[in-house]
Amino acid sequence: MRAPILQLTNVTKRFRGLVATDRVSLTVAAGSITSLIGPNGAGKSTIFNLVTGYLPLSEGEIRFHDERIDGKSTVALARRGIARAFQIAKPFPDISVHDNVRIGALFGRDGRRDVDQVTERALALTGLEDFADRPAGDLTVGFLRRLEIARAIAARPILLLADEPCAGLNPAETEEICDILRRIRARGTTVFLVEHDMEAVMRISDNIIVLDAGAKIAEGTPGEISANPAVIAAYLGTPDAA
Amino acid sequence: MLAEALARHRWWIALTLLGIAAAAVVPFVLMPFHVRVGQMILLSTGLGLAWTLLGGFAGYWSFGHTAFIGLGAFAAGLFEVNALGTEFMRTDPLLGFALGLLAGMAACAVAAALVAWPILRLRGIYFAVAMLGVAQVLSELTNSIEAFQGSLGLVLPRIPAFGLRTEAVFYYLLLIAAVIILAIAFLVKNARIGQGLAAMREDEDTARMLGVPTERYKITMFVLSAALTGALGVIYAHSLGYITTGSVYRTDFSLNMIVYNLLGGIGTLVGPLIGAAIMVLLTQVVLGSFLNLHMFLTGAMLVALVVAAPKGIMGGLAGTWQSWRRRRTAAP
Amino acid sequence: MLAVQTIADGLVLGGLYALAAVGFSLIFGVLGVVNLSHGAIVMMGAYLTWFVWHTTGLDPLLAIPPVMLVLFAFGYVYQRGLIQLAVDRSSLLASMLVTFGVALMLRNLLVLVFSPDFKSITPGYAFNYLRLGEVTIDLVRISALAASLALLGALAWVLNRTRIGRVIRATAQQELAARLCGVNARHVYGMTFGVSAAFAGASGAILGIVLPFAPPDEANWTLNAFVVVVLGGVGSPSGALLGGLVLGLISTATSQLIGPAFPNAMMFLILVLMLMVRPAGLLGNAFAASR
Repeated sequence: MRAPILQLTNVTKRFRGLVATDRVSLTVAAGSITSLIGPNGAGKSTIFNLVTGYLPLSEGEIRFHDERIDGKSTVALARRGIARAFQIAKPFPDISVHDNVRIGALFGRDGRRDVDQVTERALALTGLEDFADRPAGDLTVGFLRRLEIARAIAARPILLLADEPCAGLNPAETEEICDILRRIRARGTTVFLVEHDMEAVMRISDNIIVLDAGAKIAEGTPGEISANPAVIAAYLGTPDAA
Repeated sequence: MLAEALARHRWWIALTLLGIAAAAVVPFVLMPFHVRVGQMILLSTGLGLAWTLLGGFAGYWSFGHTAFIGLGAFAAGLFEVNALGTEFMRTDPLLGFALGLLAGMAACAVAAALVAWPILRLRGIYFAVAMLGVAQVLSELTNSIEAFQGSLGLVLPRIPAFGLRTEAVFYYLLLIAAVIILAIAFLVKNARIGQGLAAMREDEDTARMLGVPTERYKITMFVLSAALTGALGVIYAHSLGYITTGSVYRTDFSLNMIVYNLLGGIGTLVGPLIGAAIMVLLTQVVLGSFLNLHMFLTGAMLVALVVAAPKGIMGGLAGTWQSWRRRRTAAP
Repeated sequence: MLAVQTIADGLVLGGLYALAAVGFSLIFGVLGVVNLSHGAIVMMGAYLTWFVWHTTGLDPLLAIPPVMLVLFAFGYVYQRGLIQLAVDRSSLLASMLVTFGVALMLRNLLVLVFSPDFKSITPGYAFNYLRLGEVTIDLVRISALAASLALLGALAWVLNRTRIGRVIRATAQQELAARLCGVNARHVYGMTFGVSAAFAGASGAILGIVLPFAPPDEANWTLNAFVVVVLGGVGSPSGALLGGLVLGLISTATSQLIGPAFPNAMMFLILVLMLMVRPAGLLGNAFAASR
């Protein structure tokens, strides 16, 4: 296996009494597309929020490369090369698509250099060139999702966290998003994905991690995961689930 | 980035330079009364621009910016009278005025930096009301603490006239100030920080997520806006010659800074000029004989504006232009 | 004994703050609008009462009902005619600007009609006082506190026990649901504004007999109301009472211990601290939800 780029060790997050993640340890290999799956409430979003510094963790540690990053601010993490594309796209609606992406480039890692080329490349990679001059508020849901990804990769991230990029999209749009994610990986950016669309996950993931009720229950290649009885139980809710 | 911005806006810049040249001859051709109207327009434009550095660019609407007019005015006045003394001001009035200006700006910058950390965590209406509170508290303290001479009043040292009439001197001072503030606003808008602020104004949390250092940016803009407003306060105070709490801590100043921007288009550079010109001409010239209804008219103007044209003149124009462009690009 | 005197004075002032703020709190809670003209309406109440007292000699406390009636009508028309328009056409921040503009207009009108000088209302019993041990309280202050508490109680009763009160509270919580139940939300908003203005007017009448007043005071009364709401929480008479009393005590203690110039500075400090530390108010109720 390739070297880990992101490493969570015994990460626990409690909200008052509720345990959202319970001693979760996982690694994301450099250059991979690693997916995090699990039923609703399994703790996927919490993991993303912890990694991007949105929430402080209760216990455990998070390492990016070899540096401990838990406790660092969102801005500091963005500078180190961690970007996130949200499920509910949050474009700046009155700013043009081009400038939305450009802001991502300006404030990302190494943001003072080649801003315009980086912007153009991100637009091209996500197929948004034709809409560059439109206000972002005009885009449809599918294109907003692309803009969200474009803006995130314009920051030249080392690690991209993609939060359900295919939710609510039709099969054709989903396929396009999958293509975009593959292209991002091909450029050398590691992709960490949360997604409910199992077909998409199975098709593009190198490695899959399964969470249930805040704990990791399985990890493996798509083939291994689809055959894992614990995973099937978690999803179908069989009473004798481990 | 700057070179590109200069090239992109070259026509605007040429127009502005032409406008400045035209403004510079005004005191030689117009009557004193009209020069005073010009003075008011320049002061108002400067105030509108200084306000917009924070309100228009960062989206933090201050409802109490008169705090910095008052603070700047009193800090400069007290510094000139007490620290420098009448003797100094008589022998070297120009240096004295310059030092007073710096003192006023510094006082505003320091005050802004002190309150920035707590009150810039408040957003929207909470920030607006908190600034209202800052203005109210500063004006009360100026009024009731004897050393500040707010209720008694403070006579400011005269500044040299260079052989010009008094109103012309202040006209030029305000012209220089307005041009400097305009230049600063242009630089900010077209620099990296301007892009970050634009993002922040639309969605602060997302901007932070993208790596925009929102805390640092908004504190910077707050301090900058306060110091520049303070500089205008210092010049305004000297043009009055004698100030009391009531003449520099004026709620209608706070309100007017918002009105100019709303009227001319918020976040634009030409907006405050348009708004200030319309408002000053309306209140000073057209309705000049209703001086005791001044506040009423300002209030009524604001109400009418919000109800009738919430985006302002430039905003309205930009909106029309955009939708026209959108229609054009959408056509097959 | 000084401490007891301070507390007694603080309670009187606090009752007044509470009554002056309760309408502001109601509008904030129900409409989500920060009414910056609230203090100006308080001043209108004070001047109307002064006018009635000055021309007819009617006791200021007896002038409260007619003043409330007039300001209720004013509030209703103001909301339906202007505030609603501003909310519909742009944003809540814009509606706040409208109220800022109206505050300035009202202040200007008050100056024009009544002059910028301080006025005060001195009913016949103004110089009688009550002595309890070493603490003296004049009759005016006792009746002011009693009237404030009685009016707050009356408002609580209206909100909790009457149909219109229940409708107002329902609309505050779920506008859409209330509308689906056949509530005319706009009418309710108008009524809420009317009730708010009426109670602001009543507090104006009471403040007139306790303190001298002038038109520019309106800004202070608006800010006081804001602080009371931040302290006590939004939308309820009991919250306003709590916030008002705390504020009254802080204000009196500050002028006693630090100096008469500082009550407002202290209040402002507390306002900012509260907004940062406990934005839900001392009791932690609905404030955050209405953000």
